[in-house]
Amino acid sequence: MEASAPGASEPTAVIPAPVPAPLWSGSVIGQVLPMYFVGDESHSMAGDPIAAVNQGLIDLRDEVAMHPLIGKKVRFAIITFADTAETRLELSELSEDLVLPTLAPRGRGTSYASAFEALRHTIPADIALLKGSGYQVHRPSVFFLSDGQPTDKAEKWRARLEELKDPGFRERPNVMAFGVGDADPEVIRELASAPRYGFMMASGASTAGAIAEFAASMLGSMVASAERLDRGEQTIEFEKPEGFVQLDAPLV
Amino acid sequence: MVLRESGSAAPARRRIRLARGPLTIGEPAPTIEPRLAVGEPYRPDTIADGGVVFDLTVRAASVRGLAKRFVGGPRQDDLCLAVHGGTETVIAAVADGVSGAPRSDLGAALAVRYATAAVARQLDEGSVDWAGVFEQAAWALVSEARRTGSDPAALATTLLVATARADAIAVAAVGDSPALRLHRKDYHPIVSQPALDDGLIGGAVAALPRDAGALETGSCTLESGDALLLCTDGVALPLAGGEGELARTLARELARPPDVVDFARLLDFSRSTYDDDRTLIAVWAP
Repeated sequence: MEASAPGASEPTAVIPAPVPAPLWSGSVIGQVLPMYFVGDESHSMAGDPIAAVNQGLIDLRDEVAMHPLIGKKVRFAIITFADTAETRLELSELSEDLVLPTLAPRGRGTSYASAFEALRHTIPADIALLKGSGYQVHRPSVFFLSDGQPTDKAEKWRARLEELKDPGFRERPNVMAFGVGDADPEVIRELASAPRYGFMMASGASTAGAIAEFAASMLGSMVASAERLDRGEQTIEFEKPEGFVQLDAPLV
Repeated sequence: MVLRESGSAAPARRRIRLARGPLTIGEPAPTIEPRLAVGEPYRPDTIADGGVVFDLTVRAASVRGLAKRFVGGPRQDDLCLAVHGGTETVIAAVADGVSGAPRSDLGAALAVRYATAAVARQLDEGSVDWAGVFEQAAWALVSEARRTGSDPAALATTLLVATARADAIAVAAVGDSPALRLHRKDYHPIVSQPALDDGLIGGAVAALPRDAGALETGSCTLESGDALLLCTDGVALPLAGGEGELARTLARELARPPDVVDFARLLDFSRSTYDDDRTLIAVWAP
């Protein structure tokens, strides 16, 4: 079935009206790549998994801040979701003195819909702000991590996902999706911009270990993508993390 | 301690010093010691060339971007110049190797050389057939890939070729390396693909050998003082459509041809976040 047009039958959240794409003005000051980490903060992440996420984010900040070229080109945001979505870090430069939030399990649900909705609202606003400050902006990347299955109704999270991926949504991000623990590989594959950007923890691996590998890969991707930020040949630079299975082949 | 009387007859000795360092435009990029690129074939960090021929003044430079200097990777941009005496034509080519392609430095080097040679041969025969020129350049990449048993896509590169005579300029391109005419302070595109996809950087780029057919052509004439500019997106992106500080600076500095080394120095400007390879060929009309 074709996705319904915005404003059709399905009651949708208010989506900002499209405005003409602004050309860059005379005050161009640099180029930036916005990256969003969207992480599961539901109760099932308690213990080692959430600790692995927090450590991974600290390592990411420290590595990027030390790099002489990447730090200026990347902007990083953290959005978490449980029964609701929360922006835990506004899009920021990863400098060594950046104070990171400590993620902690909260809420009862695992609302993918709220996460997608938050992205759909945050991304255009962030990009408008960057452009307004004189930056040339690359298409954003999203790293989505979940250890469970969505507790929203399927129609609801799928509708929000369609809005995020809608080709008419100018600032639509490239989405890389990672499933650990009880995540559903079919769902993870559906979230990713392309099947090769969907990754599921290999069976038998430890969730915390897989999350640590995911965080290392997110850093690797950030460095590789920022190094290749020339014309932005928009294949995202990404290597499969250890302990994950790439979802571009049919699952057995 | 010796005190000299003021008004002493001894003239002050001045040390002869070289003015060092890049031109900074806006926030400077960090200063790093480049790592030497090692590999085959030899890919120097910077090349600079230029001279006068048939009343046209030519300057050409290709400099490795900070990103490659930092990791010791080869310059993936390249350029080539040739002249055709019979028709008093300067033939110029620039190529920007696709960064995701592992041997695009070689692809760029082959593409500019084969393309300029193909244009010269065609001028011998009468006229330039751009499609044929780009097919020959693409074929050079495919043959090299076959020779080494690699995937031709590993050599992927954009290609922009121009023929310049005092009375006529013709250009052809595959990919997003633009050709512009600099008229006083204004930049007029001759061929250029849209730099933006939905207002964002990140559209796919056409490249040889796969997209040899995705050819765009254009032509123009140069008024006295105008310059034809052929560049790669390492220049075009910060040039930002001809607006802004870099565009103003380049227009001012290129109002007359700088000397060859100054031209390369100009291209190697320092600006935060713009760390891609940069290549620029400029041809001034008499």
